[in-house]
Amino acid sequence: MQQAVRMPKSRRRFRLKPLQVREALAAYGFLAPYLVIVTVFMLIATVTALYLSFFYVNFGFTEPIWYGLRNYQIIWYDLTHNGDFGNSLVNAVKYTVGVVVVQTILALALALLLNSKVRGRGIFRTAFYLPALTSSVAISLIFIWLYNTGGALNWVLGLVGIPPQPWLNNPTTALPAIMALNIWTTAPTFMLVYLAALQDIPDTLFEAARIDGANTWNIIRHITIPLLRPTTFVVVALGTIGAFQVFDQVYVMQGTDCGPLRSTCTPVLIIYDTAFKSSLMGLACAEAIVLFIVIFTLTILQRRFIDANIQY
Amino acid sequence: MAMSTRASVEAATRGKIDGNKRDRIELTPGQIALYAILIAYAIFSLLPFVFAILSSFKPEAEVLAQPPTLFPQHLTLQNYKDVLQSQEFPFPNYILNSLIYAVATAALNVVLGAMAGYAFGRMQFPGKNVLFAMTLAVLMIPPSLIMIPKFLVANSLGLVNNLGALIIPAAVTPTSVFLMTQFLKTLPRELEESAVIDGASRFRTFWQIIFPLIRPAMITVAIFQFQGAWNDFMWPLLVMADKDKYTLTVGLTFFKGVHFTQFGLLLAGAAINTAPLVVIFFIFQRYFMRGISTSGLAGR
Repeated sequence: MQQAVRMPKSRRRFRLKPLQVREALAAYGFLAPYLVIVTVFMLIATVTALYLSFFYVNFGFTEPIWYGLRNYQIIWYDLTHNGDFGNSLVNAVKYTVGVVVVQTILALALALLLNSKVRGRGIFRTAFYLPALTSSVAISLIFIWLYNTGGALNWVLGLVGIPPQPWLNNPTTALPAIMALNIWTTAPTFMLVYLAALQDIPDTLFEAARIDGANTWNIIRHITIPLLRPTTFVVVALGTIGAFQVFDQVYVMQGTDCGPLRSTCTPVLIIYDTAFKSSLMGLACAEAIVLFIVIFTLTILQRRFIDANIQY
Repeated sequence: MAMSTRASVEAATRGKIDGNKRDRIELTPGQIALYAILIAYAIFSLLPFVFAILSSFKPEAEVLAQPPTLFPQHLTLQNYKDVLQSQEFPFPNYILNSLIYAVATAALNVVLGAMAGYAFGRMQFPGKNVLFAMTLAVLMIPPSLIMIPKFLVANSLGLVNNLGALIIPAAVTPTSVFLMTQFLKTLPRELEESAVIDGASRFRTFWQIIFPLIRPAMITVAIFQFQGAWNDFMWPLLVMADKDKYTLTVGLTFFKGVHFTQFGLLLAGAAINTAPLVVIFFIFQRYFMRGISTSGLAGR
């Protein structure tokens, strides 16, 4: 009885007028191509990654075989026995810490310099941005040449008495060499993000501080940087997500053999190797899931430390 | 509105500086230090390109000369000829494949992205908030997570080793939809109201009234996608199996030989890969800047 009374009421709430139905149909018409592509190539793909990680998939040879948690056990064994995937995660952490710290500071410093009243700001901004424009492959090729034992970098260092180094063939310098070029190419993009944020800070705040007698450094330290914290979170988070997944530069400069003493192995390179050289798609998916969990956890932690309790 | 205010403030301050620029630049040590740092970083950021491009016109023996010279002693186009006429790798094909990939996905993203952005930015329909939240979430999915299943899905759809494999998955990206939505939201509501009252359908309103008005967003989306596709390396590497199907970025990696590398060819290849983007960048600079600041705010 109660049911019968309630039903029409709740139905009426959801019933759309004919005009709204037409509007909704039109909206889904506009969205249709986008929804199809996102569903097929991103959502289904994400679900498939999770699903396949429980299977043994020897691509092109056999049908998927249920494997339970075996793939994850293999990864666990690898992690606890100093295997390639574990090693690649360690490399990725080193790589990410180095790249993100330096590029964030550099991006902020360049943005602050350009945000002061500089003439020819546009010209400097363009010059700084050029490395970010070029493909990772072209940049990597240029740096293979610059880093060469007989190359220009060693010549410049020779001027100050440093003997030539085989930068890309030495296990201690191979990874930092790639980090340096990554910082050089990514910092300008984040500089632009900082510049956009700086222009949103109301000038009255700075004027008030100046009237109170604060100098430029105090203003930067106590007003600008705290106000930029949400932007810093974005820059650090996007930087971490990008650096942790470094692939192109390492592939081009060192190939899939991971450089001298496997010093430049990165997780995505291992996943690529597992999937396309060993044809073990299930294991590769499990590795990708583990990598995703690591990146996701790092982003959440960063949000807590950087973005917490901002008050204007 | 905000933009024009900022522009006028900038113009005003610029005028002020111009008024007494001489004493300002020459007298304060702070200013001198500032310009010294800016010029030093500009050189740091440009020199590798300038040096690489100038060196691509040097004969092989000079490319690794010690001490290196900035300008070629013997100017030659031989490296470019060798790259483009290579018997082993059909580079003209690679350039064409990259161009098709970049132009086709840029055009598709403009049209399909504007359509989706119109629905998200200017229409009311059930499920809108959920779908837009999904768009933001998808932006955060790391490409490496879905690289393999995306390849398997494409493979089962026959999208391997053909241009469709490059174009279809990138025909409309969440980034383009986000950029379009943000822009379309800012247009005044009255634009289509009268058209809707007159009984014009949503599709006619979109094509005839809105679409012609969103040129800035279209250019931003187009150059972003062009740059992304032209520079893309991982996806073409996965889906293009035959040597004549590669894109330019994939083809270029073969210059780094296993035993020895021909640096002149490598630099000419890098220059061919870089040149179109530099030209586009100089024409559409402000659209690049706007796109980056908008998409950088997506994470907030």
